[in-house]
Amino acid sequence: MEKNYYVCTGCGMLCDDIEVESEKNIINKVYTACRIGVAHMKDGKESAVFRVDNKPVDEATAISEAVAILKNAKNPLIFGLGTCSDETQELAIELARKTSANLDDTSSYCLGKVIEALLNNKFKACTLDDVRNKADVSIFWGSDPSDSHPRHLSKHSYFPRGTEKQRGWEEERTAIAIDVRKSHTAKICGNYFFQIPPGGDKEFIDALIAALAGKLPKTSYNFPPKRILELANILKGAKFGVIFVGLGLIYSLEDLEPLIQLMNALNEKSNFHLVPMVVHYNMRGFNENLFKETGYVNSVKFEDGTVKHGPEYSIVESLKAKTVDAALIIGSDPLSSLPRSISKNLLEIPTIVIDPCETLISKKAKVYISTAISGVESGGSATRMDGVKVDFKPVIETKRPSDEAVLKKIMEAL
Amino acid sequence: MDFTSFLKAPEINVKIVTYRDIFQDKAMIENRFGEEYRNLSAVIKLDPSDFKQLSVKKGDSVILKNSFGTVVVIAEESGYEPSHKGIAYMPSSPWSNMLVSDETGGTGVPRFKDISVTVASAKGQKVTELES
Ligand code: SF4
Repeated sequence: MEKNYYVCTGCGMLCDDIEVESEKNIINKVYTACRIGVAHMKDGKESAVFRVDNKPVDEATAISEAVAILKNAKNPLIFGLGTCSDETQELAIELARKTSANLDDTSSYCLGKVIEALLNNKFKACTLDDVRNKADVSIFWGSDPSDSHPRHLSKHSYFPRGTEKQRGWEEERTAIAIDVRKSHTAKICGNYFFQIPPGGDKEFIDALIAALAGKLPKTSYNFPPKRILELANILKGAKFGVIFVGLGLIYSLEDLEPLIQLMNALNEKSNFHLVPMVVHYNMRGFNENLFKETGYVNSVKFEDGTVKHGPEYSIVESLKAKTVDAALIIGSDPLSSLPRSISKNLLEIPTIVIDPCETLISKKAKVYISTAISGVESGGSATRMDGVKVDFKPVIETKRPSDEAVLKKIMEAL
Repeated sequence: MDFTSFLKAPEINVKIVTYRDIFQDKAMIENRFGEEYRNLSAVIKLDPSDFKQLSVKKGDSVILKNSFGTVVVIAEESGYEPSHKGIAYMPSSPWSNMLVSDETGGTGVPRFKDISVTVASAKGQKVTELES
């Protein structure tokens, strides 16, 4: 019997081996997915919600109010899109052009720099399938997939018996964690857990580069040099190594230069690749789609046919400086994910929120439209954390419009 | 007469590192306004020596303060070794975000994983509710 597999859009891994049992557009059982994936796939809701000023309205009223906000704004902010399909993202980019908007996504304050460097070929990349089939050394640096990408170790990076790794983790794979705390992933790594103090990553990188060159590795926090030398030896011997880069590492570096130097040093001795631990299922897609259009991955401002770019156009800086006078937020909740000291400024401007879930910002929005969950109730395409394109179809139907359909209506009415 | 009532509750400075937690993430997907999400988010994980200094027990409320905000959360033991006195851990959430500085140096990136606060006992006080 041919099986019907679905894609899970619960995180940037986009697992494509999910089976479900559903009846009357309710998903009763989800097989193969992790805890996050199951909760995500069962989150569908039948009925749509359209609100203006927290009062229920019909769809047409909500759309026309959203259009009025965008028309009146001199410098609207369009933000979010990490949990939207490529098709929705492309429409949002077009909408930003049309409304001379400031366009940004969560990558401006998480892994955007890394994706940009990857798109500019500053790091050697590989796919998760390569990892499954070939990787013998995986380093989780400031990342904890056991919590953020729960099937990462079992599906790709450690436990599977890939085509060239039939003896699996017992004999042929080494998993290493470098982190400030003993995360669940660090526990799996056992003796290969290297605990460094908060902010100690840059020094650890320098020490590791020294050790790779046969010099004595030193850190101001007196990390035992013997252990760094041991680590360097394992890395030198790797046939197919991967660093899975997480926010713990990125937030502690001022720029990517130390990481680029480490990757270069590693690739003089062995064969190392880098994969960013992207959380939102299509954040990388947004970065790639915007890069294709503008040459930048985030933080842009469209104006008179030109594109400006810089941190001043990021959500954080534009809210801080109060340069934006309205916001269209799609599939994201800045009131929850940004410092309140910054996101509170959103409460001073009219906001349009398009999101499958009620969030802190949807409750404060001038206009709220609840949409289908992308990947559960609507289909499309996306880019996995490693850059691989994945198409997905809806699992069930809903009366809620897709975010793509809503953006189309807004565009037409403008 | 209870003299301890004249003593100010001890206060300590800690640096908070935030992290992701799968159970908390799952609770958020199911209901971000629910009790489970709050119970798994509004917590701070402290070193045993910091517990001692604060004279609080695990499960007690503590108040976290800095110039950006104030939140009441539950103190839990981190279970991490070795000792990490002065460093505490919180899952990333609206509660930790109430304490994150707006200083970014113009980079667009807040210091989510590097939060300085004072901690003091808030025995009997209720955990801060998400305003909705
Ligand atoms: S690891 Fe990510 S994509 Fe895979 S099932 Fe879990 S949430 Fe879904």
